[in-house]
Parts: sequence; C-alpha cells; structure tokens
Amino acid sequence: FTAVLLAVRFYALCRLVSEIPEVCKTEDCCLGIDEAGRGPVLGPMVYGICFCPLSKKEELKDMKVADSKTLTEAERENLFEKLVEAKSYVGWALQILSPNTISTCMLRRTKYNLNALSHDTAIDLVQYALDSGVQLKEIYVDTVGPADKYEVKLSQRFPGIQVTVRPKADSLFPVVSAASICAKVARDRVVKGWNFAEDLGEVDTDYGSGYPNDPKTKAWLLKYLDPVFGYPQFVRFSWSTAQTLMDSKAVNVHWDDDEEDGEKAAQRQNNKSMLSYFSVSSGGNNQNATHQAHRFFTERRLKSLNTL
Amino acid sequence: MSCNSSVIRLCASSVGQAPQAPVHLMPCEIEHNGPAQVNQYFTATTKDQKQDKSVSFRGRGLKGQKISCPQGYTGLVLKEINKPGSDQEDRTVKVSSVFDKMTYWNLETPPNSDDTIVMAMDWPDLAEAIHAPVED
Repeated sequence: FTAVLLAVRFYALCRLVSEIPEVCKTEDCCLGIDEAGRGPVLGPMVYGICFCPLSKKEELKDMKVADSKTLTEAERENLFEKLVEAKSYVGWALQILSPNTISTCMLRRTKYNLNALSHDTAIDLVQYALDSGVQLKEIYVDTVGPADKYEVKLSQRFPGIQVTVRPKADSLFPVVSAASICAKVARDRVVKGWNFAEDLGEVDTDYGSGYPNDPKTKAWLLKYLDPVFGYPQFVRFSWSTAQTLMDSKAVNVHWDDDEEDGEKAAQRQNNKSMLSYFSVSSGGNNQNATHQAHRFFTERRLKSLNTL
Repeated sequence: MSCNSSVIRLCASSVGQAPQAPVHLMPCEIEHNGPAQVNQYFTATTKDQKQDKSVSFRGRGLKGQKISCPQGYTGLVLKEINKPGSDQEDRTVKVSSVFDKMTYWNLETPPNSDDTIVMAMDWPDLAEAIHAPVED
C-alpha cells in the first residue's frame, strides 16, 4: 500500500484499489462513497468507495466502523486493517486528487469547481466498480452540495441502482463509514510521506492539519512562500488562504484572463482609461497613430525597436 | 515622447564568453526583475512527454515546447551595467547569456503553429527576401 502511494507524486491522478471479492460479483451489493481532505489548503483530496454484499451489512456494522472524523488516527488505521482483512467480502477503491490537480482545475480559464470535480470523481469510482463486475444495487453517499440535486444526478447516471445522498451519511451507513476510513487513512499517509517534486532540500513537515485556521499550517505557509513561484505543488493555490498570502507577500502576476478592471488595469495594459481624456497632459497626443504597423507584425507581436 | 538621442552601446566582445542559458517565455506578466528559483520550482516539476512539456505556475496549468532561434540568429540576454540618470546619457549593455532555443508556454492550450512566437519566426526569412538585392 505504501509503495503504491509513493507513485502519487508522479501522476496527477492516482487510483488505489483492493481486489474485487468474488462474492461481490455474484451477490447484490451496497456501496458507500465519501471523501477526505476537502477543506485543507495542503495536500490531496481523496475519494473513497467501499462495497460489500447486502447480506454482509451486519458484519460491517459489527466491525464498529464509524465516521472517520470521530476516530483517532490509531483507530482509523486499525479499522482500515480490519477492512483489508475482510477482503473476502469487502472491496474498496480510492482516487487521489493531487493538490496540483485541484489548483489547475479550479483555476482553469473555464472554471471547474470543486463540487463538479468531486461529483465526476465519485461517478468514475462507481463506474470502476460496475466495470469490475460488482453487482451494485444500493449506493450511499455523503453530500457534496445540495443532497437532492446530487441524488437525482447520480440516479440518472446509474439507472436501476437505488441512490441515497444524505448529509452525515458517514455516520449513518456503515458502508459509507468504511469508505470514509479508507479515504482518510490514505490522505493521512500521503500527506505524511509527501514527496516534494520541487528541489527544496530538507522540508519542514510540521505543517499541522493542513486546515487554513491551524496555526502550524499558517506558520508553514509563511515559511515556504517563494516571492516568484508562490508555493510548492503541495499547496492548493486555489484556496483563498494561499491567494491572500501571495497577494500580500509575493510579486504580482497578471494573466490575460484576469478579471481586473478599472483604471489600474487599463493603465497596466497601456490602454487609455476614459478619465485620461479629461486630463491636461494627454490631450492631442496622437502622433503615434500616424504610423500603424501592418497586421503581419501586430499578429506576431513584432515591434521595431529604437530603444531598450 | 521626446526623440531619443542617446546611444546604446553593446559590448559585442561579451558574446563569446557568455554562457548558454535556458530561457522561458511565460504567458503571464510577472512583476519581478531579478533572480528566481527557476530550477528548484519550475524545471524540477516540468514534465516532458516527447516534444510536449507541461508544468504549473502559481496553480495554473501551462503547456509548452522548445523553439529554436531562426538560423543565423543568436538570442541575447542583455544586462545594463550602469543605469543612466537621464535619457540623454549613453547607455551600455552587456551580454549576460546567450541562447539558441527557448521554451515558450501557453496557458492550458497545447502549443501549435498559430502561436505568436512560432509565427514571429517567419520574419527573418521574409525580411531577407524583401531586403535582398533585386536581380534582373
């Protein structure tokens, strides 16, 4: 398991899977979906599914799986081991969304928000279970966004399967608790053993929980701020915590699709602000307009140079 | 704008000693003029798949490729030795490094032949054709 996790650094998307229990291919099954690491500004978000035959629901309950947030790290590790041991009837799959994937998706020209990314990841994992021959009859999901809308979306996507989307599903349905444990354990291991792709030498790994309000996380974000590059890819650039710190402590970077307006932006882009026509100095300054370069040059952004 | 009467002097002799430097053309404006940890942050995380390169900068996905300087041309990175106090004074620049290719980056779009920099490389050939002596 650990060896596979090391591969995360090299792939934007990484999927870890258990073997598919034979009984899941012959008996009707239920499947739970949950995620870990949605809020933190550091590290990946992990999506997990866990499935077992409907006839084994009680066994899963007897394992005392619970919402991963109510468990200690040791308890989670312990329960994860139990789930692994129950491999004759419990299967799971995890999708790791690297922080860099989250940043670049959310900051795309055409925004791809975290809810859409979450929904698509969940759908991919369910499809993976179906493709592997799991006889799915029931799906239980912890909500992302409005529950009813998501339920309709999933029901339409997977006709013939009963879908239940519920807030706090991770404490209501053992199969969702099991998925939440798998996801949380994987996220913790990935964060703990994070391999920085950047060449930063020894990196201080005392980054706390990764949540923006954790003082340790804050201190780490201040320490590892680079004035030009901002942060290593371990940080989610799309989080306002990271953006705010870069706005105040790193150099400004402007993109052609920035949504800045007003006089400042116009000035920066060398366009004339409306207001400039009312000022004294700029009146009648159109000598430059007489010589306009041919389209051949403007299209190639070629300019003749008479000064540096 | 006043007519610029100052002379810019280029120490051509510095070309020979100048080292080759990797050059990146970024699809954004970075308000910074000075050294940066390019190798540590940028080069180390750049992924190569055949000719196509990808990386992210400030959380945005970039796609890039290498482009060569037109034949017979050398790219120069210039550095001004002493900034003059007024625009009347002559200026001296030194070649700090040279390059014969660079990597240009697009925001999310894969590099293609319509990219400005690729098209700009048409100019040297065209310039040569239109400025060459006319033979009857």
